[in-house]
Amino acid sequence: MIKAEDLFFSYTGSSSYLLGGINLEIQKGEYLSVVGENGSGKSTLMRLLLGFIKPTSGRIETQAKQIGYVPQKNDFSNASFPITVYEALDSYRRLLKIKRKSVVGEALEQMGMSAFAGALVGTLSGGQGQKILIARALMGEPDLLILDEPSTGVDISSQKEIYGFLKKINRENGITIVSVEHNLAAAISNSTLIYHLEGQRGQLYPPAQYAEKILRK
Amino acid sequence: MSIFQYTFMQNAIFVSIFISILCPCIGIFLVLRRYSMIGDTLSHASLAGITIGLLTNQNPILGAFIFTSICGALIEFLRGYFKKHTDLILTIVLSLSVGTAITIISSGKLRANADTFMFGSILTVTRFDMAMVLILSIVSVLTLVFLYHQMLYIAYDEEAAKVAGVKVKRINYVFSILVASAIAVSIRIVGVLVLSSMIALPVATALQLEKGFKLTLIFSVVFSFIDIMLGLFISYYLNVAPGGFTALISVAVLILVILGKKIYFALRSFGGSYK
Repeated sequence: MIKAEDLFFSYTGSSSYLLGGINLEIQKGEYLSVVGENGSGKSTLMRLLLGFIKPTSGRIETQAKQIGYVPQKNDFSNASFPITVYEALDSYRRLLKIKRKSVVGEALEQMGMSAFAGALVGTLSGGQGQKILIARALMGEPDLLILDEPSTGVDISSQKEIYGFLKKINRENGITIVSVEHNLAAAISNSTLIYHLEGQRGQLYPPAQYAEKILRK
Repeated sequence: MSIFQYTFMQNAIFVSIFISILCPCIGIFLVLRRYSMIGDTLSHASLAGITIGLLTNQNPILGAFIFTSICGALIEFLRGYFKKHTDLILTIVLSLSVGTAITIISSGKLRANADTFMFGSILTVTRFDMAMVLILSIVSVLTLVFLYHQMLYIAYDEEAAKVAGVKVKRINYVFSILVASAIAVSIRIVGVLVLSSMIALPVATALQLEKGFKLTLIFSVVFSFIDIMLGLFISYYLNVAPGGFTALISVAVLILVILGKKIYFALRSFGGSYK
C-alpha cells in the first residue's frame, strides 16, 4: 500500500536530518502505529506520507485509491471558526465530489454523532470532535486512513469507542490504517505492526514483541 | 428635493449595494484565515494603482484593480520565499505600494486630486466607475459561488482540503484577485484609509452571533449593508467624508452587538437563577 525507500528529511535543508534512511513498506490491511519520543519525527513521517512536505531525498510510493486523513483535534480545531458539524461534512463531501447528500448523515450515524449535526464544531468535546473528524475521513470510502494521535485531548470512554471503531474497520473492512501514536497501550492492543522511530531511523515490531521491549526497559 | 433624486446619490447607493455584498463575502475568508492585515495592506496598495491610473490618464479604479491584483499575487509568491519571516511580506508590499503612491503624488504630475480616494467621496462616482463595479462584482460573486467549498475548507482546515485534492496555491492566487476586486469596488465611496474596516468589521460583528458559516456570511452582508447605508446618508447630512463615517458606524454597530449579546446572556442567566 505504501513504500518508502531511503527517505531523508531535514527542515533546514542541511545535513542535520530529522529522518535519515527510512525504509518502510506497509501492506494492504495493516494497522501500523508509528511511535517514538517527542521530536523523533513521527508527525514529519506522516506529513511525508500525505505529501504535505517533500523528502530531501528518497521516494515514497502510495497505491491507495482514496486516502482519509484525521488530523490531531488540537492542531486543527479552530474553536472560534463559525461552522456547524453538518456544514463541515457537507462541504467536504463536495470537495470529494460525492454526489449523494445522504453520505453525510450516514457518516454521522456510523460514529453515533447524528444528534450533533447542527452543533458548532468549536463547541464539541475532544472525543466528539475526533469522531466528527473520523466521520469526515470515512465519507470518501478510503482504503487508507492516516491519523495523527487520535487520542489527544479525548476522554477515556471516547478513546475506547474510537479505538474499537478503528480496529473494527481495519479487521472487518480491510481499511489500511497508519496512526501516529503517543498512546503506547492503544498502539500495542490495536495495531498489527508498530514502527518505532529513534535516532533518525525506525524499526518494525509485532505488537507483542514491542510490549516486551518496553517492559524490559 | 429628496436626496434620492440626486444622480450622484443614486450612483453612490448603487455602488454601496455592491460594496455591502462583496466586501464581507471576501472579508469572511480573510478574517477567518487571520489575514485581516492583508486586506489593510492591499487597500493601501490600491492607492498606488489609483495614482498610476491618474498619471497615465486611465480609469483609477481599473488601475487600483490591476495594481492590487499584482500586489496580492506578490504576497502569495513571497509567502513561499519568506517561509520563516512571513511578517516581512506585508512590510515589503506596503513599502513598494505606498512608496510608489507617495512618489507619484509628490511629483506634482497628477492632474487630478488623489485625496478623494483617501477619504472616500459620494460625489465622484462616474458612469464608467459604475460599469466597472458592476462587472467586477458579478464576476467576483460568481467566482466565489463556484469556489465556495474550496475556499471554506482552505480557511477551515487547509491540510484536509489538500488531501481532498484542492489546489490550494492556485485558489490562493484567485483569492488575491478577488480581494483586489473588492477593494477596487469600494475605493470611490469608502476611501483607501478605512477600506479594511468594510472588509473586517461587518464580519467581526456577525461572528459575535456564534452561528454556522452560511448564517455568519449572511449576517456579515446584512451588517455591511446597515453600516454603509447609515454611513452614506449620515455623512451626507453632516457633510463629512463617507469613508470615515462608515468606519465609525461599523465600530458602533460592533459595540452595540457585543453589548446586546452581553445583556442577553446576563438576562438569560438571571432568568435561569430566578427559576
